[in-house]
Amino acid sequence: MTPTDKSAEKFERQMNLLAALSDTTQGIRAAEIQQRVPGYNSDHDSFRRTFERDKKDLLSLGVPIEVVAGTTAELTAYRVDKSKYELPDPGLESDELAALHLALETVAVGSSQADMARAMWRLGGVVDAATSGPLGLPVGELTEIPSDPSLVPLFRAVTERRTATFVYETSAGTADRRVEPWHLDFRRGRWSLSAFDSERGDQRNFRLDRIRGDVAVGDAASQTHLTPKTVAEQSDPWEFGDADPVMVSVRFDAEVALFAGDSLRSCDSTAAPDGSLVFLVPVMNWPAFRSFVLSSLDHAEILEPPEYRAAMVDWLLLIAGESNG
Amino acid sequence: MADLTAAERLDRILAIVPWVANQPNGTAPLAEISERFNIGADDLRDCLVITSMVGVHPYTPDVLINAIIDADTVRIELPDYFRRPLRLTAEQTFALLTSAKALLSVPGADDRSALARGLAKVLHSLGEASETAVEIGIDTASDAITEQLRVSVESKCSVKITYYSYGRDNTGSRVVNPWTIHSEGGLWYLQGWCHSSSAERIFRIDRIREVTHTDQAFDTPDPIPEFRLFDSADVQGRVTLRLKPAAKWVLEYYPTESVVPEPDGEFTVELAIGSVAWLERLLLRLGPDAVVLDASDGLEAIAADSARRLLAIYSD
Repeated sequence: MTPTDKSAEKFERQMNLLAALSDTTQGIRAAEIQQRVPGYNSDHDSFRRTFERDKKDLLSLGVPIEVVAGTTAELTAYRVDKSKYELPDPGLESDELAALHLALETVAVGSSQADMARAMWRLGGVVDAATSGPLGLPVGELTEIPSDPSLVPLFRAVTERRTATFVYETSAGTADRRVEPWHLDFRRGRWSLSAFDSERGDQRNFRLDRIRGDVAVGDAASQTHLTPKTVAEQSDPWEFGDADPVMVSVRFDAEVALFAGDSLRSCDSTAAPDGSLVFLVPVMNWPAFRSFVLSSLDHAEILEPPEYRAAMVDWLLLIAGESNG
Repeated sequence: MADLTAAERLDRILAIVPWVANQPNGTAPLAEISERFNIGADDLRDCLVITSMVGVHPYTPDVLINAIIDADTVRIELPDYFRRPLRLTAEQTFALLTSAKALLSVPGADDRSALARGLAKVLHSLGEASETAVEIGIDTASDAITEQLRVSVESKCSVKITYYSYGRDNTGSRVVNPWTIHSEGGLWYLQGWCHSSSAERIFRIDRIREVTHTDQAFDTPDPIPEFRLFDSADVQGRVTLRLKPAAKWVLEYYPTESVVPEPDGEFTVELAIGSVAWLERLLLRLGPDAVVLDASDGLEAIAADSARRLLAIYSD
């Protein structure tokens, strides 16, 4: 680019447009933009086309252009609220900037490298890790966090306290859910959401891979329930359900007790002299818990309550072809 | 250095201008800006020249960006706009927090590192709701075991591990040349040469109960073979299942040899059998949602056989 060519004209015009939009609290009307911002054509139609293109370019960068409605189309005004435009200064030191850059380059989370580079420019540019000293990161071992199309809209809903609606699939079929998203969680290869479920009037957990279609988010600050101060313990599949929790007691023998304990670390447990462990587990989703117990094959046994023990027996009888029902 | 598109140039300059203005005396070397923001020296100079003409009506000096460019440096003073860079988009913020938290969740990561400090500052600047917005738990592998394995990968000495084989459903010990540690799908794995099976093997680190170092040296292959969780060389036969619609998740979860959608909404699917225990678990989970149509020798009645075996536990 040289200061005289077409792309230079466009660059200068868009910079001036952004300055004009940022320098007003009331908003600036299109006619004023045409008169006051250098680079726009005096022909109305030509101006309108160029202005709309410029507006679209700025919006695509994330510039929060607001429309201030007037009584007529001519009185419609535009502005950029500086408090929504400006990135608060995190005050990053060079080594911290280098470490964040390295994290973005190392761990792919479904975003394009170009978009991540743009994030780094806004934070203060890229500092070479080699010049900023040791970062203490186990680089090269972790390369990917699976992505999901619902992640970014739900993240926006969490951070901007927006409501969210989506279609959710359970064993009972699909249903619309309206929630106040609190927290996203990645564990054992899966993303989940904990949220206040407006219809059920209580906290619920949702697996993102069971959300069907797009997530729609509501207005900013439309959540009415406070996010819990402490982050809830990460949820297991048997906690993803609408039923009230039932305390189920299950024994794992010494062969698998330690590994079962990894999944049940928040549950009360009792150790036996033979090395087995009995866990007391709150279960909201019986099929999910049954699958978890069956994954330990002969090493696990449901003890209590009797109806859950009987349900497991019925299930096994069905598979064995010995069921009466 | 690649040529920038018009949008990239605008985005870059909107980051550069406030950064320079916030440096001591609002001044920075052109070479440093060029390197830090990955923009060619000539392009940078041209953009800064234009920037010095940017402002608002009536374009008097007090409302223009004041950019003074000399041979090696630029000095920028700003009116009441462009003083801070543009906010990160939701996509960018999410990726930044997630990647940083993911690296910090690696067993043994230093919570006083530059990354931890940087992340804390970014979270603080984003506000309260962002602090707990995302949590990442890569797995539950013990820090101590991961650290021991990491040391052995570095020192290229074999280790003796006590390992619970999910496929065989038993615990045993084996000697392994640990080549590398790898994360996939939120879990950590050790890839290496297993002396007991005289073959390359992948071990889930959270199923390793104990690690003992040996002084037996080995050479790590260069390059290390591609990391593949499902290895066709390990296949122990095949099974053909008729799946009800409720069991459709199997198609997404496991590599399939073939899938035939049936007119009634069911699926006929052929799967490679990783191990007998793996097939038992799958069929016990699926219950009436799966019917075995065909299986390798001796496995046709595996679901009923394993269900009867488990029923014995509940017989009292």
